[in-house]
Amino acid sequence: MSAETVHTIIDDLGALLLFTMILIVAAGQIYRAIYAVAAQSLFIAVAGAVLATATGNVDLWVIAGITLIVKAMVLPWVLHHVVQRMNIRREVEPVIPVGATLALAVLIVVVSFQLSASLGSVRQAITGNALPVGIALTLTGVLAMATQKTALTQMVGLFASENGIFFTAMSVTQGMPLIIEIGVILDVILAALVMAIMVLRVRSTVDADIADLDRLRG
Amino acid sequence: MSETLLWVLPVVPAVTALLMLTTHDRRILSAIDVCGSAVLLALTLVLAREVASGGPRAIGLLRIDDLGLIFLLLVAFLTLAVSIYTVGWLKQALAVGNMKSELLRSYFALVHAFVATMVVTVLADNLGVLWIAMEGTTITSAVLIGYHGHQHGLEAAWKYIIVTTIGISFGLFGTVVIYAAAAAAGLHGGAGALSWSAIMKVAPTLDPGIVRIGFIFVMVGYGTKAGLAPMHLWLPDAHSQAPTPVSALLSGVLIKCALLGIIRFQTIAAAACGPAFPAGVLLVFGLISVVVATPFILAQHDIKRLLGYHSVEHVGIVALGLGFGGRIGTYAALLHVVNHGITKALAFFAAGKAIARYGSRDMRVIRGLLSVAPIGGTLLMLAALSLAGVPPFSIFVSELLVLRAGIGQGHWVAIAIFLAMVVIIFAGLLHHVGSMVFGEPAAAVSREPETWSPLLGMMLLAAIMILLGLTIPASFDGLLRRATEIVR
Amino acid sequence: MTGDRPLVLVLLEMALLVLLGPLVTGAIQKMKARLQCRQGAGVLQPYRDLIKLLRKGTVQADTASGFFRSIPVLVLAATVAAGALVPVVRVGPPAFPLGDALMLLGLLALARFLTAIGALDAGGAFGGMGASREMTIAPLVEPVLMMVVFSTALTAGTTELGALAAHRGTSWIVAWHAADFLGFAAMLVLLPAETGRIPVDNPDTHLELTMLHEGMLIEHSGPGLGCMMLATHMRQIVTLGLVAALFFPALPADSAGATGLLLGAGAFAVKILVLALYLALVESSYAKLRLFRVPQYLGVGFACALTALALRIL
Repeated sequence: MSAETVHTIIDDLGALLLFTMILIVAAGQIYRAIYAVAAQSLFIAVAGAVLATATGNVDLWVIAGITLIVKAMVLPWVLHHVVQRMNIRREVEPVIPVGATLALAVLIVVVSFQLSASLGSVRQAITGNALPVGIALTLTGVLAMATQKTALTQMVGLFASENGIFFTAMSVTQGMPLIIEIGVILDVILAALVMAIMVLRVRSTVDADIADLDRLRG
Repeated sequence: MSETLLWVLPVVPAVTALLMLTTHDRRILSAIDVCGSAVLLALTLVLAREVASGGPRAIGLLRIDDLGLIFLLLVAFLTLAVSIYTVGWLKQALAVGNMKSELLRSYFALVHAFVATMVVTVLADNLGVLWIAMEGTTITSAVLIGYHGHQHGLEAAWKYIIVTTIGISFGLFGTVVIYAAAAAAGLHGGAGALSWSAIMKVAPTLDPGIVRIGFIFVMVGYGTKAGLAPMHLWLPDAHSQAPTPVSALLSGVLIKCALLGIIRFQTIAAAACGPAFPAGVLLVFGLISVVVATPFILAQHDIKRLLGYHSVEHVGIVALGLGFGGRIGTYAALLHVVNHGITKALAFFAAGKAIARYGSRDMRVIRGLLSVAPIGGTLLMLAALSLAGVPPFSIFVSELLVLRAGIGQGHWVAIAIFLAMVVIIFAGLLHHVGSMVFGEPAAAVSREPETWSPLLGMMLLAAIMILLGLTIPASFDGLLRRATEIVR
Repeated sequence: MTGDRPLVLVLLEMALLVLLGPLVTGAIQKMKARLQCRQGAGVLQPYRDLIKLLRKGTVQADTASGFFRSIPVLVLAATVAAGALVPVVRVGPPAFPLGDALMLLGLLALARFLTAIGALDAGGAFGGMGASREMTIAPLVEPVLMMVVFSTALTAGTTELGALAAHRGTSWIVAWHAADFLGFAAMLVLLPAETGRIPVDNPDTHLELTMLHEGMLIEHSGPGLGCMMLATHMRQIVTLGLVAALFFPALPADSAGATGLLLGAGAFAVKILVLALYLALVESSYAKLRLFRVPQYLGVGFACALTALALRIL
């Protein structure tokens, strides 16, 4: 594949990632948010495979595979499992209107592109639009976490944020070192498991959403 | 020899953690705990001697230099103090029912896993490993914070894991961005391009624009973990809800490890885009932290939350010292890291004993500590005086040096704000602690004699605190000076 | 003036759209029925309905003014005129001055406005409610459609659909720019809203209180209702044609002569069928949204379109 083609494909995947991100932010039901984040991880795995073919970097194949299995399958499954165990209300509860959140998300996208447009020389180091898309995904993930007050949506926002970082990391010309990527993914899994346990624990003791607890103040 | 030590060091607490899983007996667990910590400290001291004579050592992804050594010593030393304190604390906590004996071994295992991740954080040369270990500390300590298993603990743990994980993802993003800059500057060879020492060699050639973005992301990320305002939201909750020994580790060591991460990136940023940029960012975060912490300290009734907010203030002071920069500012910041770590651990220990005695964290309930527990009361008073910045304790020295650095650089506005806040906090803290230590205790308060092991742990810390206030030993001074040269 | 599409061709295309409009509706209904495991009516059913309606007499509400009678004709005229602006069998600029995509959207908006006016004029409760709802949704849909058009038009430097499609050439998904994906996503979100289908509207019934478009037609009868129905079919195929022109522009073959025209018509039919299948799938797999949820749904389209625009500009 020529560098130009890879460039285009990464840009396109970036657009698809932004689309899934918008779906996550606007998701009215927790299941949809989970499916959207799974789709997002799938696109990231595809990006990894494309970059692996283009650069001949074997590490990237491994990373793409791990991303596919862990982030596109296992983590959504864990979330799904928790949702079923909790038997929660299906609708998510936004703190501010979804319209406002969407507007903020778009603002974030614009600002990220503006920010990285000011960096000329980065273009060689990171393929295509991966840097602005990564920044936008990371920040929008935080936005999703801040504007939704259920533990599960916060976890989804967290995974989306991590996805943004992964996307950028993959697209750095040489790719991240394999050992580091594996360590990062391991951390993400562990964090997800610990969070899932906490959510279930609180649900079983006080029948409330852990993110809704607000006794600690001042 | 010393290269081997580098990878043995994190293995020691890891093995200790595994050993914990073999038994249920409280005495044996405590014995393993103290032994493991002692071995860690002993090996650290050996390594310190090697580095002092032979300079930095590196093996694979790990590396130790004088800068890391300061933090490593702090980790090892406080771990031992915590272990000693835990012996007596645990007996009492079990009696009250705060801890459950069937869960003890996993508690100890997690504490040592937590220590192991922190040791890796300090030793990491590879910025990726630094991040992984940092996230590792989040996971292990999150479980520990919610260890009491009640609703508040879990709430604090959730807040902690969510806020710090999201924060630390920013740190990873910053790391990736700086890696991209290094790759663009022609640094080849996989893991090598993420190595701090390798990046430092090419740092002046990095693209300033992208390093700026990366540094801001890192600052937000590791700053969250370090408890800098306005990312400090998790800190008071986590510190107040965690078991006391864990609070001491969180406040004394963990946030300092995050500071080390910030310092590592600061050196890269300073080399790439001039020292003014990272210094400016650090100054802003430092000032915000000092200012934000003040009203919460004054209005606080929960003693552990008070200490938590106090950590925010002191991390702010360290950031100010780094921001003022220069030889004196950096020296002061590193000294303050050590001083605050030791003093804050002591304060948490003393507060923990007082809380156990009165059965409440409310400072309005704790009265007349001096008459029911003379030694504990004195130690709490000493710790509070030191935290407030009274001479001749160690924090006074480092705060004075920070001030001196600021005057040297002519940051008058920052100094004015800093001084005003320190004076207000001084008054507030003494008011709080004075009313706890003096006065008449309620009749119902237990007057049983103080146990030896917590006292021993606290005395150890108090001795160092006073020693560092009176004089800085030549070997330690040399270490600080060499570390200052690395950062500058 | 020179151009690729002479007047005769444009008029032919327009007529073709009018003729095929009901067929698309019939096809969607058939596909829906099959997806729901029903036999369903034949694809020609909309034609039969139209013929039936044209034969009937007209009944008019007492409260309606004389203007009411002319509404269906005006609506149909506006929609059919919009049909002239969509390239069907051949791309390229027209040989004579003709409106552009904005004109098309404007004509569709005019038809929508006239429909609402008519519904209010008749004075019925259902009509008024339908009109007010339609006017709540329309301002959310139209600007977004416009943004999608702009995001594609920016590369071509023209908003004339034929020229735009020609500029896009034979590009297929592989050659899409990142913004195209987001623009297309926005379009997919908006399509059900613009064609009055689930999850925004329900075309199958005018008995529910949730409906929008059908509520406005309730006072019309006989040939008037027929005109309104035909206008609805027309609006649907025009919208689909707009999507096809924006995102799946042309055939790879250098089409000229009769075979080229036939090929173009065949390709157009395939494109429309694919989009129709999408609509049928959406209608079968989603439930109608509560009215207050609709702005949130359309917000997704808005965000996508705005991001597409941002991607294109930055």
